[in-house]
Amino acid sequence: MDFIAQSIVIGLVEQAPLVLAAIGFALIYRLSGLINVAYSETLTLGAYFAMWLSTTFALDFYAVLVPAAILSGLLSVATYLLIFRPAKRRNVGTLEMIIISFGLSIFLRHGLQFIFGYRLHFFDVPAPDTVWVLGVGVTSFRLLAFATVVILSLLLYLFIQRSRYGLQVRALASDEQLAQVSGIRPLVVTVMIWFIAGVAGGLAGAFLGVGSSVGPLLGWREFLFIMLVVLVGMRWGLGGVILVGVGAGIALTAMALTFDQVLYADLVLIIAFIALLKWRGTRLTEAAKV
Amino acid sequence: MLDWLDSFLVSGLFDVVMIIGLALLLHLQLGLTRIANFGIVGFWGLGMYVFGVLYVRVDWAFGDPWQFIVCAALAALAAGVAGLIVGWLIADLNTDGVLVATLGFAAAVQILATTEDDLTGGARGLGGLRIPFDVGKVKEDEFAWLLALTSVVVLIFLYAWRVHRSPYGRLLIATGSNEALARSLGKSTFRTKLWMFAVTSGAMGLLGAMSGAMVRYLDVGNIGIGVTLAAMVGLVLGGTVRVWGAVVGVLLTVGLFDIVVQIYLPLPREWYTQTIPVLREVIFGATLIIVLVFRPLGLLGDMRRDKLMGKIHGK
Repeated sequence: MDFIAQSIVIGLVEQAPLVLAAIGFALIYRLSGLINVAYSETLTLGAYFAMWLSTTFALDFYAVLVPAAILSGLLSVATYLLIFRPAKRRNVGTLEMIIISFGLSIFLRHGLQFIFGYRLHFFDVPAPDTVWVLGVGVTSFRLLAFATVVILSLLLYLFIQRSRYGLQVRALASDEQLAQVSGIRPLVVTVMIWFIAGVAGGLAGAFLGVGSSVGPLLGWREFLFIMLVVLVGMRWGLGGVILVGVGAGIALTAMALTFDQVLYADLVLIIAFIALLKWRGTRLTEAAKV
Repeated sequence: MLDWLDSFLVSGLFDVVMIIGLALLLHLQLGLTRIANFGIVGFWGLGMYVFGVLYVRVDWAFGDPWQFIVCAALAALAAGVAGLIVGWLIADLNTDGVLVATLGFAAAVQILATTEDDLTGGARGLGGLRIPFDVGKVKEDEFAWLLALTSVVVLIFLYAWRVHRSPYGRLLIATGSNEALARSLGKSTFRTKLWMFAVTSGAMGLLGAMSGAMVRYLDVGNIGIGVTLAAMVGLVLGGTVRVWGAVVGVLLTVGLFDIVVQIYLPLPREWYTQTIPVLREVIFGATLIIVLVFRPLGLLGDMRRDKLMGKIHGK
C-alpha cells in the first residue's frame, strides 16, 4: 500500500511540471504539426528567467512565476515570428523545419551561457515547507506546481473545447485555408497559441529549476519524455496528453522505486513508448503548416 | 620524423575526418532516403563502447592487430544489428516518429553506458584502450592512425559516390522523394530503408571503434548530442543531397573551428575551456537555421542530375 501511495504521490507532484510542458508542446504540435525541438529551451529559459528575477530583485519564488512565464511566452512568440514564420513563408519542408528547431535549440542552449554565465545557478529562496500527503513528504513548491497543472489543464481544456478562440484554433489546425475564408485571422490565433505554449513551458522550467539547479541542459534532459508523451497521447487530444503524462509519471516513479538504478526506469519508458508508436503506427500525413 | 607536425593538429584532423565519415553516412540516410537520424551519436557511441568493453574486459588469446580487428568488427556488427532494429521501428514511421525513436536510441545508449559500470566503467570511464600498433612515439602512432581512419572514410566516400550512380541509389532517391510512388511501382521501400539504415549504422559503429582507440579513455561525456550536431551541420551547410556536401560542409564548420580557430588563432588562453566550445555550438546552431531558411540545398545545391534536368526542361 505504501508503495502504491508513494508512486502516485511522488509521480504526480514530481512529474507535474513535465505534464504542464507537454500541454504547451502539444498546443504547438496540434496547431502547426511542428515538432519544435527548441521548446526544450523554453523550459530552460523559464528557469533562468525565474532564477534571475529571484536573485537580482530578491523576490519570493511565488512572485517571480508570473513575470518569468510572460518572458517565456514572449520568447516563444519571438522564435515563431523571427524564425518559423519566415521559414514557412519560404516553403521549408517538415523535416527541414525540425532541423531548424534543432539548430535553434542548440543556439539558445549555448547562447544563454554568454548572458547568464557558464556555472550552474540556484534559486535564492528559503527552503520550502514540507506537506505530508498519504504519508509522503512533498515540498510546497511541488504542490504548487501540481495545483498549477490541474488548474491550467482545466482552463486550457475549456479554452480549446468551449471558447470561440478555441474553436478558431481547432479550425486552423484542421484546414488553414478554409479557416481563413471563414474570417479567422491565422496570425493572431497562432501567436496566441505560441504565447500560451511559452507560458506553460516557462512555468514548467521554473518549477523544475527551483527543485534542483538551473543549467543549460535543464530542458533538454526532459524533452524526450515530453515528446514521447505528446506523440502517444495526442491521438486522444489534449486530454490524452494529460492522461498519458500523468500515467507515465506514476509509472516512472514506481519503476524508479523498484529498480536498483533510477535510469532503468527512463530506459523502460523510452522502449515502451517507442514500441507503442510502432504498434500504433504514426504514418500520418506530413502537415508542415507551422 | 614528424617534428613539423603539431600533436593538436593530428587530433584535430582526426576529429574532422571522423565527422566527415559520419556526415557521409548521414548523407545516405538523410540526403537520399530522407531518414532524419538524430541518433547518430547512439550508433557511433555503441560502436565505441562495444569495442572498448570487448578490447579491455575480454581475455583474448591473441594480441593486436587481430585483437583490434576482431573487436572493431564485432562493434560494427553490434551497431549494425542496432541499426536493423531501430530501422525496423522507424521505416514506416513519419518524421516525428523517426526523430523520437532515434533520439530515444541515443538516450538509451547513454543510459546503458552509465548504468552498466561493471562493464563500461560508468561515470568513472573506461581506460586501457590503445592504437593497435606501435611505430614509435605517440605522435607517430596517432598520425598513422589518422591515415588508417582517412582510408576508411575514403572508402565510405567512394561507396556513397557509387551509390549515386547505381540502380540502388536511384531506388534510395525514389524512396526519399516519393515513397508511395516507389511502392506503387513494386519497389520494397521498407526493405530498402531497413538495409540501408542497418549498413550505415554499422559503419557509424566502426568509426566509433576507431575513435575509441584514438581517445584511449571512454567517458559518457564523449557521447553527447554534439557529435550528431557536428555531422548534421556540416552536411546541411555543404548540401544534404551531394556527396561532396559532407566534405565541404564539415571542413567549413568543424575544420574551421577545431583546427583554424583552436590551433592557429592567437586567442586568450582562458577562452579555450568554455568560451570557444560554447561559441562553436552557438555558431553551428545558427548555421543550421540560416542555411535551411535561406539556402535549404546548402552551398553545393541540387544533385547534378537535377541540375541537368533543370537546364533541359526548365525548373
